[in-house]
Amino acid sequence: MGKNVLLIDDSSTMRKIIGRSLRQAGIEFDNIFEAGDGIEALALLENEKVDIILSDINMPNMDGISFLREKANRPAIKNIPVLMISTETGEDIIGEAKSLGAVGSIKKPFTPDKVNEVLGPLL
Amino acid sequence: MQIRDKIIESTQEIFSTMVMMDVTASEELPENKSIHCESITGLIGLAGTYKGVLAIHMPNAVALAVTGSFLGMDVEEINADVEDAIGELANMLGGNIKTILSENGKDINLSLPSTISGKEYNFQLASDAAERTVIGFDAESGRFHVELQLEK
Repeated sequence: MGKNVLLIDDSSTMRKIIGRSLRQAGIEFDNIFEAGDGIEALALLENEKVDIILSDINMPNMDGISFLREKANRPAIKNIPVLMISTETGEDIIGEAKSLGAVGSIKKPFTPDKVNEVLGPLL
Repeated sequence: MQIRDKIIESTQEIFSTMVMMDVTASEELPENKSIHCESITGLIGLAGTYKGVLAIHMPNAVALAVTGSFLGMDVEEINADVEDAIGELANMLGGNIKTILSENGKDINLSLPSTISGKEYNFQLASDAAERTVIGFDAESGRFHVELQLEK
């Protein structure tokens, strides 16, 4: 059975670019789900099986850090790995994300090679 | 390295890796104009140790070509896709500027990106105390400008 990924980013452009980068990196998923913020993501996760999540940090309504905090309190989804993809590179913010369960981070802008390097070992 | 050089380096990196488009910084000093016609501006605010705004000003024709290359599809009018793409470019550029200026990532906050577009609009200095850096970039489809207004 194949794997499913959830992309969380308020920019529809960036969600398309991440999806394209996954294909260019040779990483295939059965389903690529999309959400525009943490609230949409939590709603989607109630109904869909997701194997890995790629999430932005700065988003309206519920940002990536708040999403991680909320996800950690939900037993059904708390173990799904989350990789942050963001313009944020500050050690404090990335450190906070990792303390809340994020397994790594990719800085925007990124190349398909970088996506493969970081995401590949997690699959 | 001065902030001007950092903006040039960041802009070229974003365009080459994400937009699949090479751009070169213009040697010409840009006109000191605040009126933009038939254009779109993506902007992001900075708050904290440094306050200011980062903006990317594109004539519509350039914005359409950039969005088309970014998304890998033909784009014929200024629409939500163009606004989202130009806003995201400002977001990435703002993130890079924050990395340059910030000591730990938490002393400067970035706003969410937004866009302005129209037949004619006036983009003024956020504050008299703000230092303004404007750099022109040339793409195959035309010239656009990146502007940083910064107040410490």
